[in-house]
Amino acid sequence: MTEKPAKREAAKHEWGPLVADLAQRRERALGMGGEQFVERQRSLGKLTVRERLELLLDPGTWVEYGMLADHMDPGLGDRYLAADGAVTGVGEIDGRQVAVAAYDFSVMAGSMGAVGENKIRRMRHHAIKQRIPMVWLLDSAGARIQSTSGSSFAGAGDLFREQVAMSGVVPMVAAMLGHCAAGTAYIPALADFVPMVKGTSSMALGGRHLVKAAVGEDVTEEEMGGSGVHTKISGVADLEVGDDEECLRIVREYLSFFPQHNQERPPVRECNDPVDRRADEIYDIVPTAPRRAYDVRKVITAIVDDGDFFPMKPEWAKNVVTGLARVGGEPIGIVANQPMVLGGALDVNAADKAARFVWLCDAFGIPLVFLHDVPGFIVGSAVEKQGIIRHGAKMLFAVSEATVPKISVILRKSYGAGYFVMNGLAYEADYIVSWPTAEIAVMGPDGAVNIIHRKTLEAVPEEERAAKRLELAEEIRANIDPYIAAGHAQLDDVIDPAETRHAIWKGLHVSRDKQIDRPWRKHGVLPV
Amino acid sequence: MAEIRAEITANVWQVVVEEGQMVAEGDEICILESMKMEIPVITEVPGVVRELHVAPEQVVQEGDLIALIDES
Repeated sequence: MTEKPAKREAAKHEWGPLVADLAQRRERALGMGGEQFVERQRSLGKLTVRERLELLLDPGTWVEYGMLADHMDPGLGDRYLAADGAVTGVGEIDGRQVAVAAYDFSVMAGSMGAVGENKIRRMRHHAIKQRIPMVWLLDSAGARIQSTSGSSFAGAGDLFREQVAMSGVVPMVAAMLGHCAAGTAYIPALADFVPMVKGTSSMALGGRHLVKAAVGEDVTEEEMGGSGVHTKISGVADLEVGDDEECLRIVREYLSFFPQHNQERPPVRECNDPVDRRADEIYDIVPTAPRRAYDVRKVITAIVDDGDFFPMKPEWAKNVVTGLARVGGEPIGIVANQPMVLGGALDVNAADKAARFVWLCDAFGIPLVFLHDVPGFIVGSAVEKQGIIRHGAKMLFAVSEATVPKISVILRKSYGAGYFVMNGLAYEADYIVSWPTAEIAVMGPDGAVNIIHRKTLEAVPEEERAAKRLELAEEIRANIDPYIAAGHAQLDDVIDPAETRHAIWKGLHVSRDKQIDRPWRKHGVLPV
Repeated sequence: MAEIRAEITANVWQVVVEEGQMVAEGDEICILESMKMEIPVITEVPGVVRELHVAPEQVVQEGDLIALIDES
């Protein structure tokens, strides 16, 4: 009997040191690039990669892949690179899974190492197998040149090709949280949605040092590819945000409009805003005088659920407004002309912006709502040199191709090709209505009069010509009337502007199960 | 000095401010007319209108200088 305790002592397991070793390895990985570099990350006004994941994902949902990874590159010696600079895994946003690849700038400037890239490849494959969105948190100097400066580069590049194959199958978000060059600048270019943190993020094909060496230009990351450049001038990014925290919140909000993949319907939210709510404030927002400008964003917030509008590229090509919202809880994509900027006339960038947005919504089954107030495409030699025909054709192509429910509301003007690209009746519009102020025609009366009555006007003495021109223009104007279009049943209804929200909901309601079959083709030949 | 430039080829329809006048962010400087629309040109910065380079009925090309605003 006395021997029993001794026996127990002898049976004590030997796992202690193994478990302790594992715990220590995990601890080391969670320490990221070490105190000094983590401190530097914070001093730049950025959160650490681990803090970012906590803000992005629902608590307790993170399943990490490859936490114990290291560089495994003999060239880098015994240096330890936590997670090889790329934290990967699966977590949840509002209870739905997403695959995440998060670069860690505190680990060798977040450079893309072989092991880290293998981990991210695994996440891409996981996202596509599981049909879940993929989110990149980008804070990386680009390729790890120390390890890849030789011609083994010849085998690289699958990351972009795979991203192209994922496009339109699962939503892809690339959040710009640091200075990214080359490789990590193409990832956002191929993603659907790119928010950028003001002041701390940038993207450029060549980083500052490369640019200095290659073309001799002395420029900061911010000047070359900061959020000011990409959200206002180049149009590469979608939104400028104040800090990391706002950026991650915006990513969650963006994904709330999207299905997990292209064969699922967009998520419908419970909605307490009545679908037949009148929007009488529109009377005070929109002038009936067709030449007078107003801010169409005010019309949008007046008609969508709870006034919530999620703008896409709001600071670029401001003559067209694009963004996501809900009506009756259902996600919609809005394309609206903005009379306040360039009179709402379309130019190359506006056509570009709208086309891409239409493709985005169509890919993920989000119905499109077009609010027309467009004098047409800008004409003249300046825009021809910019390729307005090719860009206009791109928007025409995108809107024609889209098979999601397409609803149009003609607020005031809708002229020429502007009417077509904004989803005119002939573009498989499912419900098309106008306000009593609508003017639909091939061109405005003031332009048409000079073409139709050129000879008549030439015959009139010069001093009487202006008066005659006005008189003839009024004759033409008399034929531009929504009740003529409605009389031909080319408009499904003419509505009171205050009923716009209800009309959009009706359109969504009747076109919910829309199906369109097209002849088989590999793909069209896109004008770009 | 903030430069305000024309964003479109247009006729100058009305000039709303005078040189030396104080303007707030979002104030109209002038109204252009193009594509049969009134196109307000606004300042994105507050300040004093130092120079005005346009007059009614003048034609401006995209990129032409309309006004200089002294932000100080």
